[in-house]
Amino acid sequence: MSKISRRAFTGIAAASAATLAFPSISLGAVPKVVVIGGGAGGATAARYIAKDSGGAVHVTLVEASKRYYTCFFSNIYLGGFRNYGSIGHNYYGLAVNQGVNVVHEWAVSVNAATKRVKLGSGNTISYDKLVVSPGIDLKYDSISGYSAAVQDQMPHAWKSGTQVQLLRNQVMNMKEGGTFVMVPPPNPYRCPPGPYERVSMIAHQFTQSNPTAKIVILDPKPKFSKQGLFEAGWQKHYPGMIEWISSEDHGGLKNVNASTMEFETDLDTFKADAACVVPAQKAGAIAMAAGVNNGDWCPIVPASMQSQADENIYVLGDASVAKSMPKSGFSANSQAKVAANHIRGALTGSKVFDARYSNTCWSLIAPDDDVKVGASYVAGAEAIDVESKFISQADDSSETRAANYQESIDWYNGITADMFS
Amino acid sequence: MKILLFVIFFLTSFSKFAFSDEHSDEQQIIAMGDIEYGEYLGAECAACHLQTGVSEGIPVINGIDAEVFVALMLAYRSKLMENPVMQMIAGRLDDEQIGSLALYFSKLDPPK
Ligand SMILES: Cc1cc2nc3c(=O)[nH]c(=O)nc-3n(C[C@H](O)[C@H](O)[C@H](O)COP(=O)(O)OP(=O)(O)OC[C@H]3O[C@@H](n4cnc5c(N)ncnc54)[C@H](O)[C@@H]3O)c2cc1C
Ligand code: HEC
Repeated sequence: MSKISRRAFTGIAAASAATLAFPSISLGAVPKVVVIGGGAGGATAARYIAKDSGGAVHVTLVEASKRYYTCFFSNIYLGGFRNYGSIGHNYYGLAVNQGVNVVHEWAVSVNAATKRVKLGSGNTISYDKLVVSPGIDLKYDSISGYSAAVQDQMPHAWKSGTQVQLLRNQVMNMKEGGTFVMVPPPNPYRCPPGPYERVSMIAHQFTQSNPTAKIVILDPKPKFSKQGLFEAGWQKHYPGMIEWISSEDHGGLKNVNASTMEFETDLDTFKADAACVVPAQKAGAIAMAAGVNNGDWCPIVPASMQSQADENIYVLGDASVAKSMPKSGFSANSQAKVAANHIRGALTGSKVFDARYSNTCWSLIAPDDDVKVGASYVAGAEAIDVESKFISQADDSSETRAANYQESIDWYNGITADMFS
Repeated sequence: MKILLFVIFFLTSFSKFAFSDEHSDEQQIIAMGDIEYGEYLGAECAACHLQTGVSEGIPVINGIDAEVFVALMLAYRSKLMENPVMQMIAGRLDDEQIGSLALYFSKLDPPK
């Protein structure tokens, strides 16, 4: 084992596996990859497969929207630190620089047996390998009284799109000294620290425009991500403004009423002047249509991000069960690179290297007070296992916290270029 | 930042004469590298390190001198340099992987 490294070994193994696999792909034909969903996972996968194969693989990206508004940094927008346009991205770079065939349509079904994807227009596209990265769908009925019909009165703003603009308007126009109610989702969900960063940013906005406003968090959970860091930050920057109520204290949300803006719990009924309600979540519908789900989410093979149900389908990002990785844009981007390397290896015989993943999530608590948590991961037999991790410290210097914010801006520019350029 | 970079470079170069520790020799680490592997490993870095243009906090590393690169990565790996993100990133890279990354990033065009 000292002569052959693990990397060289997997390289050889993959090369011989690929030679065996080739006869099934008709000679001379350029192998085809279809990617469903042009977000953090899908755009990255499409870009890396196209870029690294230099034309040897034909890549089609099916994405419903012409413009992708990142959920990451949407809280920063809510806090008034960025404009909405600055978090929007288009697909020209992927088409023009990388030669990806970008199709702006909904994928409506997948026939795994014939390896075809059906589009909203009725057209079908065939694939050798399919990447599914549709993000999340909301389980509106997980909260009694909440539904798609009332989502504009109580925006979730938890998916790319215009809901977050609506939420910002409601924050800006809330009556003086009013109460804002935040309902975070139950586990597992997209972006574990997201609801608490959102509260921080809304609180910051209130200190500017509505300093006597209150924020009540009705959490369906008894604890949350980076809790100590957030609570210390709230004490410091927004004393008396934010009240977090644990599920153990309010006993559960019994009903929400969008016309009276009332939130009924065992403890009390809370009346809101504006609210953000984020229901429970599940993998995007197309993952269910492709049959790669087990319940709400899609189990994957840790070493490759292949679906456990179908070796020709890879599931990335929020839709996958990538335990122990959190559902984040950083995770999805990291998973996409592992899948891209694996797919290229299978289709062209290029070297397949050992899977390695990482994640870092920054959260802005107040101007220049930014905390981060991160980990690196390796593929275990059953799950993606944590290799090492770090988290901001309670006694960080203010320079460190300010440097974290600058880092997060650079990361934003880095990852969006890594997805779309 | 740049000054720190050179201080570290000289420190590590010096220590290699002082102790002739083979594993601290940038040249030997680079010689272990494989550029194709470096390209794969380098994808992780692109999430934070911009490939073009300038950034305020996270330095662009395309076109970096290979030996300087190795010296910096060893400094993060040994926690001589402080940033927790880079300590985590470098902490799991062995010499062969650092050499591969050095080959890959030093061959890329530096930002204009
Ligand atoms: C408030 C908030 C803050 C966040 N902050 C961070 C952060 O700071 N850092 C971080 O790393 N992550 C953050 N996240 C999480 C991050 O946004 C998600 O984890 C990430 O976007 C997941 O990527 P994905 O590829 O799984 O899905 P998405 O990025 O949601 O992409 C899915 C895409 O698929 C398309 N699609 C879905 N179904 C179909 C179909 N059938 N046909 C065609 N197209 C389809 C959608 O239009 C969408 O563009 C945050 C999330 C929220 C809500
Ligand atoms: C999560 C974000 C992130 C990722 C991913 C990341 N880096 Fe970094 N990197 C940083 C930050 C932040 C700094 C600045 C650290 C400091 O101030 O010491 C940095 C600094 C560096 C430096 C020092 C550059 C200089 O001129 O001083 C090198 C070299 C480097 N990184 C290499 C890498 C490599 C190689 C990878 C991938 C294997 C990588 N980084 C992945 C965030 C990241």
